[in-house]
Amino acid sequence: MSYSQEVNEPALKINKAVQKKRFTKKKLIPYLFILPSFLFIMGFLFYPIAMVFYYSVQHYDISAPYYNRFAGLENFVQIFTQDKLFFPSLLNSLKWVVSEVGLQLVFGMILALLLNQTFKFRGMIRAVAFVPWAISGVLASVMWSLMFNEHMGVLNDLLMKIGLINEPMAFLANTSTAFGAVVIAELWRGIPFFAITLLAGLQSIPNELYEAARVDGANRWKTFIYVTLPQLKNTIILTTLLRVVWEFNNVDLLFNLTGGGPAHSTTTLTMYIAELAVHGSNFGYGSALTVISFGILLVFAILYLRLSRYEKE
Amino acid sequence: MFSKNKKVDRLLTFYLPLTMMLSFTIFPVYWTLNTAFKPEGDIVQRPLQYLPINPTVENFAMAWNNVGFAVFMKNSLIVGISTVVVVLICSTLSGYALARFEFKGKRAFLLMLLCTQFIPRSMMIIPLFVIFKNLGLISNPLALIITYTAIEIPFTTILMSGFIKNVPKELEEAALIDGCTKLQSLRFVVFPLLLPGIVATAVFTFIYTWNEFLIALMLTNQQSKFTLPVGLSTMMGEFNVNYGALAAGSIIALVPAVILFAYAQKHLVNGMGGAVKG
Amino acid sequence: MINRKSAILSYFVILILFLMGCSSEKHSSPKSPEQDEQVTLTFWYDNAGVHRTAVWENLIEKFEKKYPHINIEYEGFLKDSAKSKFDAAIAIGNGPDVASLYTSWLPEYTSRDALLPLDTQFTEWGEREKINPDTIAFNRSMIEDGRLYGIPYSQNLDVLWVRKDWLEQSNLSSPKTWDDFFKTVEALTDKEKNRYGYSIRGGAGSSFQLQRMMYAYSGISDYLIDGKSTIDNPLHIEFLKKYFALYRNYTPISDITNDYSSMLEEFDNNNVGMIQHNIGSFGQHSKFLSPDEFMVIPLPESIDGHYVVEDGNTMNFSIFKQTEHPEEAWTFLSFLASQEAQSYWNKEVGQMPTHADVFEEQWAKEAPHLQTALQVYTDPETKFFEPPFYLTDYTTIRTTLVEPGIQEVLSGNKTVEEFLEEWSTVIEETYGRYEEYKVHTNRH
Repeated sequence: MSYSQEVNEPALKINKAVQKKRFTKKKLIPYLFILPSFLFIMGFLFYPIAMVFYYSVQHYDISAPYYNRFAGLENFVQIFTQDKLFFPSLLNSLKWVVSEVGLQLVFGMILALLLNQTFKFRGMIRAVAFVPWAISGVLASVMWSLMFNEHMGVLNDLLMKIGLINEPMAFLANTSTAFGAVVIAELWRGIPFFAITLLAGLQSIPNELYEAARVDGANRWKTFIYVTLPQLKNTIILTTLLRVVWEFNNVDLLFNLTGGGPAHSTTTLTMYIAELAVHGSNFGYGSALTVISFGILLVFAILYLRLSRYEKE
Repeated sequence: MFSKNKKVDRLLTFYLPLTMMLSFTIFPVYWTLNTAFKPEGDIVQRPLQYLPINPTVENFAMAWNNVGFAVFMKNSLIVGISTVVVVLICSTLSGYALARFEFKGKRAFLLMLLCTQFIPRSMMIIPLFVIFKNLGLISNPLALIITYTAIEIPFTTILMSGFIKNVPKELEEAALIDGCTKLQSLRFVVFPLLLPGIVATAVFTFIYTWNEFLIALMLTNQQSKFTLPVGLSTMMGEFNVNYGALAAGSIIALVPAVILFAYAQKHLVNGMGGAVKG
Repeated sequence: MINRKSAILSYFVILILFLMGCSSEKHSSPKSPEQDEQVTLTFWYDNAGVHRTAVWENLIEKFEKKYPHINIEYEGFLKDSAKSKFDAAIAIGNGPDVASLYTSWLPEYTSRDALLPLDTQFTEWGEREKINPDTIAFNRSMIEDGRLYGIPYSQNLDVLWVRKDWLEQSNLSSPKTWDDFFKTVEALTDKEKNRYGYSIRGGAGSSFQLQRMMYAYSGISDYLIDGKSTIDNPLHIEFLKKYFALYRNYTPISDITNDYSSMLEEFDNNNVGMIQHNIGSFGQHSKFLSPDEFMVIPLPESIDGHYVVEDGNTMNFSIFKQTEHPEEAWTFLSFLASQEAQSYWNKEVGQMPTHADVFEEQWAKEAPHLQTALQVYTDPETKFFEPPFYLTDYTTIRTTLVEPGIQEVLSGNKTVEEFLEEWSTVIEETYGRYEEYKVHTNRH
């Protein structure tokens, strides 16, 4: 007995060591897998973001370096107490995000439901319907400014032919129409993304569910409400969340079509930041605004995921 | 009688709305095409021509030869394809880690991915400028490839992890029992099943790089290194905007993306399905 | 022990010295036959487009033939983003060797220590006396140290472009006074025919055009008097009220977001009868309209009876400080500023050269826009007002405060008085800070 014990003990030790080694190696694998992504993000996204946070408490103006100094919370105080553009632009951001994401969801859903049916040339028509997604902001701006033009724009021509208007409208130059005009142009570009993800979601709904609904005598509307929508819940939550964040930060069309004007009527918070970053040179102040918008999005994302009970039945 | 009703029903609930949606989609593209084929003087001519009366390909020749769209196209392809390759490698690996492992810091990593989306790109330009100046990469396509990769990784990682979750774990385990290593099982078992997801990720990334404007504008100085959107914007500089050539340039920039879509749309829908179902 | 340490130390010191000696030798040896070494310079231009890029490339080709050992790399930027490109590049010390800069940028960039003074090279240059001495003097006067940081190569001037044929159809003569101006705008408007008398630039770049109009009207030539801005002078209020009253009644509605290209388009596409723009758009108008259809006239004389013009409306070549080849950079710069290059560039682009000999050339004598500009610039009565280019955030104030302000007034959200007061207050505050800073640094 004692003999065998003596022999076995070292072997056991070796075994344990091997196990431990395997264990640590196994533990390391996920970290190795995320390492490349982690490095890219740390090096090229995290550093710029950290800079933004750092500069938000500085007076940093690249065209007037001699004003530069530590500012503490001065930038933030100025934003909340003196900035005449901050609250209006925040309100515009809200209007922008709600109208874009809301309308894109509704029309994206309609398009997805249509494209989910069987019909001739389905592949080709789907490809055509998704095309606006592949069009860049610069390009879309060119297209829409051609159409919105007061003198040679085709929209004016069509509306006058139908008799809806008597004289040409300057869609992008009127404080009451500019916002709506850009919303439509962005809607055009945004619907396909929703349509694609929703269509994908629709295709993974088991057919039996529809069969059961038909047996129960549910009409189209009821089937949609009680079968389709619940099945699409997670898709809708994730897509709208991503879209809210993206649309909040999206200024492509605003920048090119109206430049935030006329008279700031299309200046969203991100547009305001972009204007400061590209045309102004007060990087510190722009950074402080960015930190605020970062905070808003973070709080929104957390609340949205909590309240919508994402991935919970 | 019944079949007639059905036809009317189909017309009202299917063909009519589909036609309306598609007209909204197609009209701007049609108008751009229409403009691209008109000689310069006819574009501003009233009454508007809904089809070009004197069609011409002059504008296309102008954009391709004089403005240098051939070069822009080449640059965009180089940047786009390289970014797609790097993004696919990184996001497949990290997506796999998120889908298959529980590890410390997973939530923190996820949060980090989400937070990167909260900063407007315009604010990142100066810091990026500093980084690439120090690396000596200003006006170098590598700077764009690196930046685009970093920007695309967060979303594509989530996309990929969603898709990997849908590949049954048992298949992988079976491969491991058969004596494959972890990487081999990834290569031979998971990868083929992932193909639609990979196509979706690739298309998503490619479209982004193909269209990105602001960063490309700020990080490239030489015309010979411009990507398509930046090249397109040079046509809007100076005094006169040559709408015909601009429209022709837009159409040229659009063609590769449309071909890609026509080819990949099926995978795109399937791939996204895997990812967003969660 | 100590001995051993010091032995090792001295060994390393000798090694380092030896290596340094080697490397410096390596550096100096191929450098001696200087002509053999190829030098590459970067040149930046801030308003690139298809046409102007071709003009620069032709000039560069000529230069490279003449000086085969120098290569020029041309990098042209879009007008809207050029300033931010320069700003970012200067902030991280990554500028070009040679660049074309607006006079209004010079004080900011010298205060940021980005540019090389060019006094020595300029005094030794054979053609220095040909360059308009006023523009040289102005460039010096603007900078605190009084040195020369940019060689002017092109001058510009705001003028009125008028549809000659429309005037004739309505039996009108070209407007000479401000009263004429307003009457002509009204008379040329015919909404039935889709014709507007005028187009206001309300989008990007609106501020400096408006400022030139205001001073041309009031006749005031001081921008700041004892730290008080003349922006909100009652005459300017009076002018803006009349001027903005034209909007919508005699101008297209889209004027409020008009940048220069849409404004020129309105004119060239037969929508408006008169615009204010600089002489540089001559080429563009001649492309679309025949010489019988348009004409160029100066902005009317002020109500005091003399022209008022913004000083320093010039473009300059500058050399950036971090260049490794200042000599070659000057060789290139002096080529670009020479008669040959100035003549070609200004003729193609449609602006006014600064080189006296170019005015003797036939094309210059025949160009109506050049003659108009010359008439204004050489009139002994003409007065110049000088915007505070030396306030380094002058440009930022214009783009972030004044230009949106103009849109506020045009859309009726703000009164002319409020707008001008706000504008002048900010100028005064910035000026105060600038003075404070000057006192502060002198004390150190």
